[in-house]
Amino acid sequence: MAFNILVADDSATMRAVIKKTVEMAGVPVGSFFEAAHGKEALEILENDWIDVILSDINMPVMGGMELLREVAGNDDFRRIPLIFITTESSEARMDEARRLGAAGYVRKPFQPESIKKILYEVLEKAYQHKVEAPSQPAAVSEDDMDF
Amino acid sequence: MDGQFRSLIFQTFGEVFETMFFTFLEPVDEVPGPEALVCDDTYIRADIVYQGPQSGRFTIYLPKRLARNVTMNFLGADEADISDEQMLDTAKEATNMAVGSLLGKIDPAGESKLNIPEATILDQFSGAEIASEPGAFLFDTDFGRLWVVFS
Repeated sequence: MAFNILVADDSATMRAVIKKTVEMAGVPVGSFFEAAHGKEALEILENDWIDVILSDINMPVMGGMELLREVAGNDDFRRIPLIFITTESSEARMDEARRLGAAGYVRKPFQPESIKKILYEVLEKAYQHKVEAPSQPAAVSEDDMDF
Repeated sequence: MDGQFRSLIFQTFGEVFETMFFTFLEPVDEVPGPEALVCDDTYIRADIVYQGPQSGRFTIYLPKRLARNVTMNFLGADEADISDEQMLDTAKEATNMAVGSLLGKIDPAGESKLNIPEATILDQFSGAEIASEPGAFLFDTDFGRLWVVFS
């Protein structure tokens, strides 16, 4: 099973880093979608099948918390686990995210291993399916391994 | 500004640059005189404001040589592939992460909120002027001097 992954972050550079991190983690990816804020993410959700959302919290136009409320309140979207990757580091804000239904969070700055760990846990829980990493992730070059 | 806050700033910025950008920041306790602060590199300025019970602004000034290097490390890209836009984006993200991480330490209840960071390439830069600001912190790196100003 390959997963369609949506990354919402206002930083194009951070989106590229997250994409590379996911590829390096060996998660089987079908398609990778990118949004610069929550509103763009919702537009993608309307048009494409998404299996998991990785989202920043602090974004212009529509932030991650509002995106989470929209996802949780929509019958078609609430099946989709949302993981925050964020600079927000207060326990109070993370408690609020959990109450709203966030599947997990990773704090920036992050180690690639922390993204891999939570992504595998969340995907396996959400889809009741053992996620197998390919033995040789095709998209990762030797240069990437420095990251 | 108390010594504990000063240490926290040095520590937090150092951790973020090392973890995300594989770049070591060496805190400079004694800022050198103006003649030693002359720099011929173009500088990038990135700002972020936080608001709440505690409010403030952090501004970082980093030379383009350093910005290019941290962007290369961040993206795993070659030098020739790095654009000004990517350097500005990385400067914003670095500021966002460092100040977000700092806020988590000084405001654990999360009552303060970070605004969206901004960044620009400066036409002119004077290290001596920055050094005269009361909330200025200086770091040495292999790619030039990084300034952090808290106001």
